[in-house]
Amino acid sequence: MACSRRNLLIGAGAVIFTTGVAKVALAKKSLVATQDVGDKRYGMVFDETACIGCTACTDACRETNNVPEGVSRLTIERSAPMGEYPNVDYTFTRVSCQHCDNAPCVTVCPTGASYVDLKTGIVDVHSDKCVGCGYCLAACPYQVRFFHPETKSADKCNFCRDTNLKAGKLPACVESCPTNALTFGDLNDPTSEINKVIASNAVYRSKIELGTEPKLYKVADTKGEIKR
Amino acid sequence: MNTFVSAFTFDSLVWDWIIAIYLFLTGMSAGMVLISIHLKRKVIEGKASANGIIKATAILAPLGIISGLTILIFHLTKPLAFWKILIYFNTSSVMSMGVILFQVYMIILFTWIAIMFKDELANLLQKLFKGRLAFVNPIVDKLAKLENAVELLLALLAIMLAAYTGFLLSALKTYPMLNNPVLPVLFIFSSVSSGAAACLMLGIVGFKESFHSKSVQWIHSIERPVVVFELFVLLTFFTGLIFGGGQNEVAAMAAIGGGFWATWFWYGVVGAGMLVPLALNFFVPTQAQHNKAFVLLVTSLSLVGVLMLRTFILYAGQMTVV
Repeated sequence: MACSRRNLLIGAGAVIFTTGVAKVALAKKSLVATQDVGDKRYGMVFDETACIGCTACTDACRETNNVPEGVSRLTIERSAPMGEYPNVDYTFTRVSCQHCDNAPCVTVCPTGASYVDLKTGIVDVHSDKCVGCGYCLAACPYQVRFFHPETKSADKCNFCRDTNLKAGKLPACVESCPTNALTFGDLNDPTSEINKVIASNAVYRSKIELGTEPKLYKVADTKGEIKR
Repeated sequence: MNTFVSAFTFDSLVWDWIIAIYLFLTGMSAGMVLISIHLKRKVIEGKASANGIIKATAILAPLGIISGLTILIFHLTKPLAFWKILIYFNTSSVMSMGVILFQVYMIILFTWIAIMFKDELANLLQKLFKGRLAFVNPIVDKLAKLENAVELLLALLAIMLAAYTGFLLSALKTYPMLNNPVLPVLFIFSSVSSGAAACLMLGIVGFKESFHSKSVQWIHSIERPVVVFELFVLLTFFTGLIFGGGQNEVAAMAAIGGGFWATWFWYGVVGAGMLVPLALNFFVPTQAQHNKAFVLLVTSLSLVGVLMLRTFILYAGQMTVV
């Protein structure tokens, strides 16, 4: 087969164009976080600029998921006061399971009790498989796991997987938030509300340098330093 | 009193002193086995089962690992569900791999002891069960043909076990001080150090092994290099953290820079556990060293030092979160 120098150069150019350039173009699009781990990949955005620290979410979580006193799946942490009286301001942040795609709690669990549900991307615990060694409590860099005083199993937020989500509702914290600071949805769906919020705000995720790939995004407060 | 309480109870603490004792007992078992295998293969002339050090290992190595695992089971929030950890496993979990390692180690350890003490074992079975367990003897005889392979395998398993206690903690990304590649190396050396002390303590004081026996001489000859190297590994452990900067440096300084755990480390682990035994062995005349009280003092210091090291690493390690 004849192959002139001209044809070769054109061909090579075509290869470079379709691989290299196309990749760059696609990479730009992937600002919409997508990853194929299953049908859905649930995540959440917490908007620090909207949260007023009322803790309606923590109460709703406790009630919906029957979380006993003394432990909690979700807490709201208030920053130190910023500014001088009477112009004092605070920022609030959400402390709860980040539903990591690469979850350290799942990696270390000796029995496989801690797992990522591939259909939803939710990190959850098989209570009957858990022996209560505490390895996952120690392994979680976000320190959000605890032993449930009644089941004696490791426990934490599972996006209301077996309460509200099962009933077709949004997680209790999202439902109860009076300022709409929480957005819940499927990160795999480019048209979902959560992807729109992520695309149109300056968001960050905690401790991503550990390679945990968390699915809890935070819209940074407009004041002060971001505490990752 | 308040500093004492807050040193042992803080928010980021998950594993407490029970785990430190377990790490200590496991390491001691592995260390004793490593030393005794070397003694049996290269140092002891004649019957190994008559040697006081070997007897000490035959008792303390299994006892250490069994009591360590027992307290570990009762440390679970669901002790009665412990069997689930045996039937479910997870290849990415250091703990799960450790559970398998423990089982193989214990089987091979008991096999090795049975082979060495096969005459004593036969007598014991005869005395206790009047021949009803006589079928055990030919099995042990068959296994005895594999003695060399069993020994080499057990030595490998003992090294893995000593290192495992380090990997168990170094897998934790949460705590910069524990998430440290040097930790398994440090724990191998502290295991050998505690193994040597336990061998000498029970071997000389309990089983009356002579101060002049070649076995005792050999253990004495490795004591100093092991402790000196352990000190060097500790140095790399903390310089590595400090040079790493950020939370690594914060963790290192919180641990050894000042406060309860720094005092514990400098006076207890380094001072009483390492430097004082080194000094005693160096300055006290050899003649004076040859009495049981001296052996008891030095080995107790070493053992307490290793237990304090494990406790220190565990608690100080969990103080600082990434």
